[in-house]
Amino acid sequence: MLAIDAAAYRSPWRRHHPAAKALLAGGLLGCALTLPPWPGAVVTALVTAAVAVCWARIPVRTLVRAARTPLGFALTGSPAFLITVGADGIAWADDGPRRAGEVLARCTAAVLCQLLFAGTTPLADTLPRLVRIGVPPALVEVAALIYRMLFVVLDTARRIRDAQAGRLGTRSLRATWRSLGGLGSAVFVRSFDRARRLEAGLAGRGHAGALTVLVEPIPLRTPFLLAAPMPAALAAGLALAVERLP
Amino acid sequence: MHIAEGHLPLSHAVAWSVAAAPFLVHGAVTLNRRLKDSPEDRLLLGASGAFCFVLSALKIPSVTGSSSHPTGTGLGAVLFRPPAMAVLGTVTLLFQALLLAHGGLTTLGANVFSMAIAGPWAGFAAYLSMRRFGLLPAVFAGAFVADLTTYCVTSVQLALAFPDAESGVAGALAKFGGIFAVTQIPLAVSEGLLTVLLVRLLRTSAAADLIRLGVLRPARTEAAA
Repeated sequence: MLAIDAAAYRSPWRRHHPAAKALLAGGLLGCALTLPPWPGAVVTALVTAAVAVCWARIPVRTLVRAARTPLGFALTGSPAFLITVGADGIAWADDGPRRAGEVLARCTAAVLCQLLFAGTTPLADTLPRLVRIGVPPALVEVAALIYRMLFVVLDTARRIRDAQAGRLGTRSLRATWRSLGGLGSAVFVRSFDRARRLEAGLAGRGHAGALTVLVEPIPLRTPFLLAAPMPAALAAGLALAVERLP
Repeated sequence: MHIAEGHLPLSHAVAWSVAAAPFLVHGAVTLNRRLKDSPEDRLLLGASGAFCFVLSALKIPSVTGSSSHPTGTGLGAVLFRPPAMAVLGTVTLLFQALLLAHGGLTTLGANVFSMAIAGPWAGFAAYLSMRRFGLLPAVFAGAFVADLTTYCVTSVQLALAFPDAESGVAGALAKFGGIFAVTQIPLAVSEGLLTVLLVRLLRTSAAADLIRLGVLRPARTEAAA
């Protein structure tokens, strides 16, 4: 399983309705994007991290590992803010470090909000409920199918890669390229073969077109729903308080 | 080339989502029609989406010394056509955002526009224009152009969001384009080569699927056989 999804299934918040968690994480995300980067984004990042680790009990290691890649992208792009291109050529931008810092702070806060939702809500709980907010059922069904097949295909890819490595398939650059081509084509062939066999199995059972599955009911609990906007209100209040400090 | 969550200002995130919406609606309508005509295709579409996700998770060696991930948009467009890729790419990007934290939810519209719309359409156009030179050169052109277009559109998106203080959007475009060119041009070449290897193997192991998807013509396989 993927680390974020595994954390979501283990989360103590698993029993809370996805809408309530979306309200909580969405409120914080709103703060991260709309409040001034200093102190708004910094305060939002701290509040979100505290909520994720102390309240939602997402393991710190999972949070850090998941945030590494998106923040790495933001960091790679940040040197562009440090320079300016003018008629005289390239020069250091006067407000470059400030702009880079603002974007990085906003990005960190927003990524943590995204991980707070993703690390507490399995996709299997979210997808069937998307129909209620107007997403076409056919689209949701295909997305749910992709989600179900994803782990089998990922596992197949992992097994093929291990087998290739065991046969010195990554010994040289040339062998690595050949192995990658083989891996991609084998995954394609196997995933299509699996889909065809599923199709035959369903046809044998009188498949009429719709793949209805049992959606586990999750009650919308009032105390959690009332508490959901609190972190965002706290972040906004703290940001305003820090801004007014002399 | 995923734009991370929170990287774009809210107004830009909304604008790119609005720009991506008509293509996504067109893709969803096409998909809906296809599923009504042949309901059994939904499993193949599920497999295709899962394949796209796995393809974008493969690590490929980059000329700059590091390793990178292919976008998979070129191959996806060649195999499943751009309208289907708009939907499959959107679902893949949503899953990448929620399962891998690659990309974001507010930046989903911008990422969909570059990776699931602009990349596949440009790649598919390159593939079609090169098809008369043979399958493999066309596949290389499709994957290379799709990857490069995705990178160019992402650079434009970032330049529009963060214009240079002195030279405006044009200067910012030169800056972002210059920084990402170091990794993205070698990556586009790498993705083109990987896609050629992959399609060459598919031609021998899954010719029937390629004929069904319209990539190979039946006469060609008969001749090969």
